[in-house]
Amino acid sequence: MNNHLTIKSVAICCSENNKLKDFGLKGIEVNKQLMPANLRRRASLTTKMAVTAATEACKQADANPANLPSVFASVGGEIQVTDALCLALSEHQAAISPTQFHNSVHNTTAGYWGILHQCYQATTAIAAVDDTFAMGLLEAWAQLQQQPGEILLVCYDELWPDYLAPPMGSYALASALVLSNTTTNKDLYTVTRPAITKNSLSISPTLNDFTQRSPAASVIPLLMAINNLDADTVIPLNVNQPQWSTQFGNTD
Amino acid sequence: MNGFKDSSLSHFKPIPVTAFTTINSCGLGNNALYQAMLNSQSGLGELTILDIPFTTPVGEIKNELPAIRPELVAYDSRNAKVALAALNFSEDGLRTAIEVAKSNYGSDRIGVVIGTSTSGLSETEIAYQVLLKQGKMPDDFHFLTRHAYQATPRSLQKELQLNGPCFAVSTACSSGAKAIAAGQRLINYDVCDAVLVGGVDTLCRLTLRGFNSLELVSSDLCHPMDKNRNGINIGEGAGLLLLQKPAIQYHHLPHVLSVGESSDAYHMSSPHPEGKGAVAAMSNAINLAGLKPDDVDYINLHATATLINDQVEAKAVYEVFNDSVPCSGSKGITGHTLGAAGAIEAIVALLALQHQMIPGTCGLQELDNNFDCHVIKNSLPDQTLQTVMSNSFGFGGNNACIIFSKGYE
Repeated sequence: MNNHLTIKSVAICCSENNKLKDFGLKGIEVNKQLMPANLRRRASLTTKMAVTAATEACKQADANPANLPSVFASVGGEIQVTDALCLALSEHQAAISPTQFHNSVHNTTAGYWGILHQCYQATTAIAAVDDTFAMGLLEAWAQLQQQPGEILLVCYDELWPDYLAPPMGSYALASALVLSNTTTNKDLYTVTRPAITKNSLSISPTLNDFTQRSPAASVIPLLMAINNLDADTVIPLNVNQPQWSTQFGNTD
Repeated sequence: MNGFKDSSLSHFKPIPVTAFTTINSCGLGNNALYQAMLNSQSGLGELTILDIPFTTPVGEIKNELPAIRPELVAYDSRNAKVALAALNFSEDGLRTAIEVAKSNYGSDRIGVVIGTSTSGLSETEIAYQVLLKQGKMPDDFHFLTRHAYQATPRSLQKELQLNGPCFAVSTACSSGAKAIAAGQRLINYDVCDAVLVGGVDTLCRLTLRGFNSLELVSSDLCHPMDKNRNGINIGEGAGLLLLQKPAIQYHHLPHVLSVGESSDAYHMSSPHPEGKGAVAAMSNAINLAGLKPDDVDYINLHATATLINDQVEAKAVYEVFNDSVPCSGSKGITGHTLGAAGAIEAIVALLALQHQMIPGTCGLQELDNNFDCHVIKNSLPDQTLQTVMSNSFGFGGNNACIIFSKGYE
């Protein structure tokens, strides 16, 4: 068993890219042209953001998406599609769009990603409220123990209607990481298996506010550590209790 | 013993299932489901809990459901109640086994991973009616603790006062099976000593009307693998299993050998026409378990009773197993319980092992003569089963195949 994972690449795409600057991070703009028209037409903005981040992470890691198993972690998933369907359902006789229906499942983004890249590898879609990123990283870690190599972890949530769980969903964010448990020389950063922290870590009010608005923002401390080369520090993976964390390090 | 030999995969080992139970339209507990399997007795019938603009038989739970504790009222949903009913069914001993595990290992070492596709959607649908009438959600609307996917595993975690990893897997109709895969990993790689896994789904307007608009719902009782099959009947239920780290005292119990997972990379709601993903899931499961196809003694098919799904699955099963392995589908008994199906049908496979029988395919009258795999119509008692398999295939082309082995004598 290898407790350490190597982070081969990271990418982040956010509706508030300017606010990411507060954390010293640079978000990429959503690229709606990454999918062919037949997929693009039907894909939600959340799927497009997740695909944007995932594509960039794969590119930076020089990884072929077709070869990567993947974990997609999100609290609300396709919440805009689900919202539209719930509004339609309120009318007893209203027609329900078959495309919207099959696009409302939590693994829609995972499905589109697989279709886009002809990827036959295992993919999963999970949800864990505030712990979604932590549980996504844990599942990715466990999958790499079972099948050594590389894996894609995408954590994302879109803008939600404001009557669901405000302020959650007032920012949209997608992050993607290519992780590996076989290290090579050019790999720089590692994380350990997520674990519950004994002494809770301090969270800045700015970050706390961001994660209340977008639970996928729990990735920010890890991205900041990579930027700042904070080797050998314990990084929080959520802002609530119990707190999950990982030991961030450097392979050199 | 098959599957217990050393694998080349480090730390990958069979994981004992120390307790399991189910609730579905056949009733509460394993025995109700076993009796229905033995007698090909359908639990499908009229929909009474919801009003929808068409007629279709459903697998509705008729049992009275327990109340959610007042402290957990924010989690109150039909999904949470269905899960609680199963958890509390004392005859199958699940809750007792969890309490014992908790006292042995500590609550931090026990995880909860539950598959669901609906979670509390039926309550959300009602809340939306209020939203449209009054311009705001009702005061007792709790999106994150009722509607959201993670609401179901969290309600179980809170009810049991556990503190380990807790998350929902939601990959449509393979959710319940994928949750078992995730649970096996958490134990295999020493994150947990026990994990409550399974699947829970409840009837709601979205799934009934959504599948109907895809023209996949049958207005009659479903006929899995039948030449006249014309669609699914939707059901609801829960299948819950306790996985624990291997120990000598559990050797006699059934074990999860492996879960094979794959993607179709083809279409959101239609399977790969050549069954590429289904073949990959079954082959991965066999390889992970260190088995050969001939070692499998029975396959519980996904067999939804739609034209295309059954056709593709029959082709895929034949490609991997030829016609050598008896197989059958159980959705004529329970209906298609969607996010719970992978877990409830894992329990069908476990009950087949436990009772050394092969269930029939309830609803099958005349086998589609294009199918070459070995489909069983009427249940067969007095079998010798060592290794059984259960298939689950979901929207998005998300596939999972579980292999269980009988315990040591």
